[in-house]
Amino acid sequence: MSGTVQMEWHQTPGNQVDSHYCPSCLENMPSAEAKLKKNRCANCFDCPCCMHTLSTRATNIPAPLPDDPSKTTMKKAYYLACGFCRWTSRDVGMADKSVASGGWQEPDNPHTQRINKLIEYYQQLAQREKLERDRKKLARRRPYMPLAFSQHTIHVVEKYGLGTRLQRQRPGAPITSLAGLSLKEGEDQKEINIEPAQALDEVEPLPEDCYTRPINLPEVTSLRQRLLQPDFQPAGASQLHPKHKHLLIKRSLRCRKCEHNLSKPEFNPTSIKFKIQLVAVSYIPEVRIMSIPNLRFQKECQVLLTLTNPVENITHVTLVGCEEGDPEDINSTAKVMVPTKELVLAGKDAAADYDELAEPQDFQDDPDVVAFRKSNKIGFFIKVVPQREEDGDVTVSFKIRHDFRNLAAPIRPSEEGDAPTEAIWLTHHVELSLGPIIA
Amino acid sequence: KSQYLQKMAANIAAGAVVCVESEIRGDVTIGPRTVVHPKARIIAEAGPIIIGEGNLIEEQALIINSYPENIMPDTEGVEPKTMTIGINNVFEVGCVSQALKIGDNNVIESKADLGKNVILTSGCIVGACCQVNTCEVIPENTVIYGSNCMRRVQTERPQPQTLQLDFLMKILPNYHHMKKTVKGTSTPVRN
Repeated sequence: MSGTVQMEWHQTPGNQVDSHYCPSCLENMPSAEAKLKKNRCANCFDCPCCMHTLSTRATNIPAPLPDDPSKTTMKKAYYLACGFCRWTSRDVGMADKSVASGGWQEPDNPHTQRINKLIEYYQQLAQREKLERDRKKLARRRPYMPLAFSQHTIHVVEKYGLGTRLQRQRPGAPITSLAGLSLKEGEDQKEINIEPAQALDEVEPLPEDCYTRPINLPEVTSLRQRLLQPDFQPAGASQLHPKHKHLLIKRSLRCRKCEHNLSKPEFNPTSIKFKIQLVAVSYIPEVRIMSIPNLRFQKECQVLLTLTNPVENITHVTLVGCEEGDPEDINSTAKVMVPTKELVLAGKDAAADYDELAEPQDFQDDPDVVAFRKSNKIGFFIKVVPQREEDGDVTVSFKIRHDFRNLAAPIRPSEEGDAPTEAIWLTHHVELSLGPIIA
Repeated sequence: KSQYLQKMAANIAAGAVVCVESEIRGDVTIGPRTVVHPKARIIAEAGPIIIGEGNLIEEQALIINSYPENIMPDTEGVEPKTMTIGINNVFEVGCVSQALKIGDNNVIESKADLGKNVILTSGCIVGACCQVNTCEVIPENTVIYGSNCMRRVQTERPQPQTLQLDFLMKILPNYHHMKKTVKGTSTPVRN
């Protein structure tokens, strides 16, 4: 926030992926590895039926000893089970494994080979087109080294990938999904030919009893279950195989205008703290509703609100009602009269609870306006006159204007000596929902 | 009608472990090897309840044979209907069961609610917080789960909780007094 003082409500700040982690085993993964594993965890599985995490359970089964087939000994067998819907891996016919983890495989997609071949072909095509473009661009400048230069640009693309701002796709621009693919340096450019897909005239006919066979409802998969496995999209519940769990990401936010880091979480998945956390709540006074009397249609009621000061210096707050035709005032259903005087909030003092000898600061509050004052919080009244008799909540809105001192900014060496930091006055729109009218 | 109201004593078979803090009202028969935790409530209002063996009824579970909604308790000519509960069922904490017929090996999870017209066969699992108040027979090995009471069929029935039952039958008498069984004394012999 040192560059711009601006509220970023309506614009989403720039999102960047910070780290990948698995939500159940909390394993951290670098982005490259995550991309290789298709953003899935290697150890954890999701229930194909209810999408919860599967847990591994062990049973003892008698198994014949390898030396002496006539004697049996108890061996541990592991199977996957869901604690929520009680699905087990035995339901789809997956055999119990003898190792606790790592034994479970996802079934292979029968079309993998064809898809891989197609991807290779298009990678090569993209590569070739890129070379052509570079060659055309540089034909005038460096006619003797076009290949080397384009190898360099490939390197640049691969090195930075889609992470930088330059490569980030703007919303609305055509998606270039091949932008991240590029041949590794040194690979021979052999010709890859693919067979075009063949259209068939004859389609397998529907079975005879398609219309007459009664449906076994528990066996039919729901759309959600089906589409979670896009490879197979099984129609029967006995073909639902568990899939590896999706990874989640932690993201960091940047301001769009000055590219300053706003929010940067910790790298460790078990930690919920932030390395950098610049949130508006820690700078703007907070308005909270303390008590609401019975609201009556077109009768004036007094609502008690509190204002809390999150910063350590004294803040001055002025409340102003919304004017007619205010573009931000769309939801209010009641007229509101806010106190006209300026409210002074004491700074937040972390040691206030423990310091009993501290003198209470004398602010000379008007008892009609200020109900109470407690360290950095005051309670004040507003008058509300509901204007609409409809069902639904009474909503009021007003503007709050307060002074903000940017203490995080570097102190400029000033010639006048101790000049206090300049105060910037910020205005925000506040909307309160006060609940229904009681007839 | 007045005959079964007078039959207040519960028939608790030998080998059942029923804590004194549980509330058992009316004509209730409890089979051997059944464990009834404290604060469980088994209320036979509109007819007797017969509970089989090997059942596990946990705290704050409510098994109630109540009158149908539109019939007052004093109406004449109302036949008392018997509620039958089979063997190896588990009634988890806080569940409510008014189902008149429950088979074997069922699990009624925490805070589930079974209505009066449901009939559970065997191997059914009614998930936590699921309310089942339809008028139907739930097929075998059905699992009811989720906030929308989705259903699926599982291939094997839930295992009987023998380990848990044995453990409880040993430990509960150490900390609670037991109700009197039909044959034998109030507290079973401790190991």
